[in-house]
Amino acid sequence: MDSFELRYADYSLTEEQLAVRDAFREFFASECPPDRVRAAEPLGYDAKLWGQLTELGAASMGLPESVGGDGAGLVDLAIVAEEAGAALAPVPFAEHVAASRALASAAGTAGAAGDVLGAAGERPVSLALRPAAGAAALVPAGAAVRDVVALDGDTLVLVRAAEPAPLIPNQGSTPLARWEIGEGAASRTVLGTGAGAVAVYQAARAEWQLLTAAALVGLTERALSGAVEFVKTRETMGVVIGALQGVSFPLADVAIGVSGARNLVRRAAWLADNEPGAHAGLVQAAFAYAARVATHGATTSAHMQGGLGFTTEADASLYFLRAKGWSVLGGDPARDVMAVGDALVARALAG
Amino acid sequence: MDLSVVELSSDQREFTESVRAFCVEHVTEEVLEHERLTGDGFNERVHLALGQRGWIMPAWPAERGGAGLDPVRERILELELARAEAPWVTLGTTRLVVAAVEKYADPLIREDLLRGVAEGTVRFCLGYTEPDGGSDIAAAKVRAVRDGDEWVIDGSKIFTTGAQNCQYTFLITRTDPDLPKHKGLTMFLVPLGGPGIEIQPIRTFGNERTNVVYFGDVRVADTYRLGGVNDGWTVLRGPLDAEHSFGGDSSARKLADLSVGRSFVHALDRALDTAVTWAVTPGPDGARPADDPYVRYRLGEIEMDIQAALCTPGPMGRVKCSEALVHGAAALLDLVGPEALISEGAADALGGGRIDFAHRYAQGTATYGGTVEVFRGMIAQHVLGLPRPSFPGAKVLIQKKR
Repeated sequence: MDSFELRYADYSLTEEQLAVRDAFREFFASECPPDRVRAAEPLGYDAKLWGQLTELGAASMGLPESVGGDGAGLVDLAIVAEEAGAALAPVPFAEHVAASRALASAAGTAGAAGDVLGAAGERPVSLALRPAAGAAALVPAGAAVRDVVALDGDTLVLVRAAEPAPLIPNQGSTPLARWEIGEGAASRTVLGTGAGAVAVYQAARAEWQLLTAAALVGLTERALSGAVEFVKTRETMGVVIGALQGVSFPLADVAIGVSGARNLVRRAAWLADNEPGAHAGLVQAAFAYAARVATHGATTSAHMQGGLGFTTEADASLYFLRAKGWSVLGGDPARDVMAVGDALVARALAG
Repeated sequence: MDLSVVELSSDQREFTESVRAFCVEHVTEEVLEHERLTGDGFNERVHLALGQRGWIMPAWPAERGGAGLDPVRERILELELARAEAPWVTLGTTRLVVAAVEKYADPLIREDLLRGVAEGTVRFCLGYTEPDGGSDIAAAKVRAVRDGDEWVIDGSKIFTTGAQNCQYTFLITRTDPDLPKHKGLTMFLVPLGGPGIEIQPIRTFGNERTNVVYFGDVRVADTYRLGGVNDGWTVLRGPLDAEHSFGGDSSARKLADLSVGRSFVHALDRALDTAVTWAVTPGPDGARPADDPYVRYRLGEIEMDIQAALCTPGPMGRVKCSEALVHGAAALLDLVGPEALISEGAADALGGGRIDFAHRYAQGTATYGGTVEVFRGMIAQHVLGLPRPSFPGAKVLIQKKR
C-alpha cells in the first residue's frame, strides 16, 4: 500500500453503529454477567442466550436481504462481536456468522442450506476451520451445532447431524468437538466444488478471523478494565499499586495494544466491505495482532492481580483461559503472520 | 468510519502535481545529500521556496503570507513533502511555536514575526530540555532575572535542535525559584544572534545534528516575553499538547495521522521495502531468500506491526510507532545480515543503506517530544484513570545544594 496515499482516517462510528453497540452492550451487561459465563462451563454454549441474541437479530443481521437478513457489513458485525467477546458470551457468534454467510453465498436458500438458515434462531451453524486430512476435524462450536460448513479438498460441504457432537473439554471452555466431514459423514451436502467453492470457504474463514479478532479485542479490554479497577484500590506499603510504574506501565502497554488492535480489525473489516480483495494479508495481520494483544493483555491483566489473578474464582481467569482458547482455534496465529509476509512478497514479485 | 481514498477535484489534482513538481525542483538529490551530511533537518533554500509558495503556514490566507489551502490541499502538501523526504524538523518546531506567538507575543513584534515565519526568514527552535533535566521540562532552571525593561538570562539548554538555523528559541526559564515548580516559569522568544549565546553542536548516531545552547548574561528586551511573568506553563501548554497529540482540531482529524508517531514509521516502511526487495532478488544460486518460509514470516511480522502502529491512536500511537520502528529495524538487520549494515555510499550498500539508517534513527524516536515512558505515564493517568504517582519533585522545584 502506498503509505503516502491520501485517504481519510476516520474511525468514528455512525449514530446507527453506536446504537447497535450500545444495545448489545446493554444486553450483555444485563443478560451475560460472569456468573452466566461460568454456568455455561464446561460446554461453553448457552442455548437460551443464543435464542435471546437471535431475537435481537444477531444471527441474521449479516445475511443478505435476499435470504431474510439485514445485509450488515463486517464493520457492523465486528462491533457486535467485540461486545460478545467483552462479555465472554458463550455463543458461537463468529462461527455462525461466517458459516451462514458462506451458505447464503454458495447456495442461497435452496435445499439443505435453506433449512439451516431458516433454523438459525433455534440453533447456530459452524465452520470447520482446518482441513481434516483423513481424520475428523476439530470444529469450533462443534458441540453446540448440528450443521457444519467445511472444505474437503476443493469441495465445499454442509455436514449435518441429528445431535451436536460430544464436547471435547478444553482450556477455553469452548464447545469444541470432532466432526467427520469427509465421504464418511452421515449426512453431507455438496455446496460447490473447484476454485469458486474454495474462494467461498476462504472468505468465510477470513470473516471468522475478523470477528474472532474483534471478540479478542473486547475480551482484552474487559480483562484490562478488571485489572485497572483492582490496582486502583489495592495498596502496598502505603500506596495504591496503580500509582507504581511497575504496575501502571505494563497496563498502559495493554491499552496501547487494545487501541491499535481495535482500529486494525475495524480497518480490515472496512476495507473488506468496501474494497474487497484489494488488501491481501490485512485480515491475517489484524487477527494475528489481536491474538497477540489478547495473550499479552490477559496475561498482564491477571498478573497485576497477583495470586488472586490465577485463582479460578477471579474473573481474570475467565479472560486468561479464553484469550488462548479462542485465538488458536484456527491453528497457530504465526501462520497468519507468515501469510502477511507471503502477501508482501507476492506484491513485490508482481512488481 | 471512512478510510476511503480522498476523491480529488481537478483543481486538487493539479495542486498535487504542482507540489510534486516543487519537490522535483527543490528537494533535489543535492538537498538530500546535504541532509545526510549535516543532519540539520533543514535546508534554507527549500524553506524559503516553501515560504514563497505560502506553504510554511499553508492554511493562512495569502495576505498573511500563507496559501489559503483547504484541509485537503494542506494534507496533500504534507504527504508529498514527506514522500520526497523534504527536511522537516525546523519547519515542525517553527509551526509548534506559532500559536503561542499569535496568542502571547507583544503586538509591537508580533506581526513582523508572523510575517517572517510565513516567508521563511523567521524560524523557531524549542528551548525546553536542560542538561540535567531530561523530560521533566517544568523543572527548568535556566534563570531569567528582570533588570528594568530587560531580562538577564543564564544557564544552558540541550537538544535545541535546529538552533543553528533559527532566529529565535522558544525558551522556558525560571523567574521565581521560590514559587511552586510550575508557577515560577516564564516563556521568552530569545533572539539567537546576540552576545552571550553559544551554540555547540551535538551529533547523534541517527544522523541528526542537535545542540547545546549556553546563555551567559544574555540580555533580552521584555518585549520578547510571551505571556505573563511566572505564567510560562500556561503559554507552553498549547505547543506541548500539540506535540503530545492531545487536543487538536477535530475536523482535520479525518485527514490527519492518528498519532504524532506516524512519521517514525516511514523509516521502517522504507527499510522493509529494502528488505522485501532483497528477499525477492535471486542469489547466485538462483534461490531467493523469500523462498524460505522463515524469511516470509519475519517480513510478515514487521508488516503486521507497521499496520498496527498506523492504526494506534493518540499517545498510544506515539509509543507504538516508535517501538515498532525500534524492534522492526533491529529485526531487519538480523534477518538480512551484515549487508544491511553497510553504510550508504559504500559499495554494496543495500537499498541506499535504509535498514542501517532505520536502526540508528529508531533510538531517538523513543525520546523525541517526551520519552515513551512519559507517554506511558500519560496513558496510565489519562486513558486508564490510574492515580498519579507521587514524586517529591512533582510540585516543587528541587534545587541541588551548591
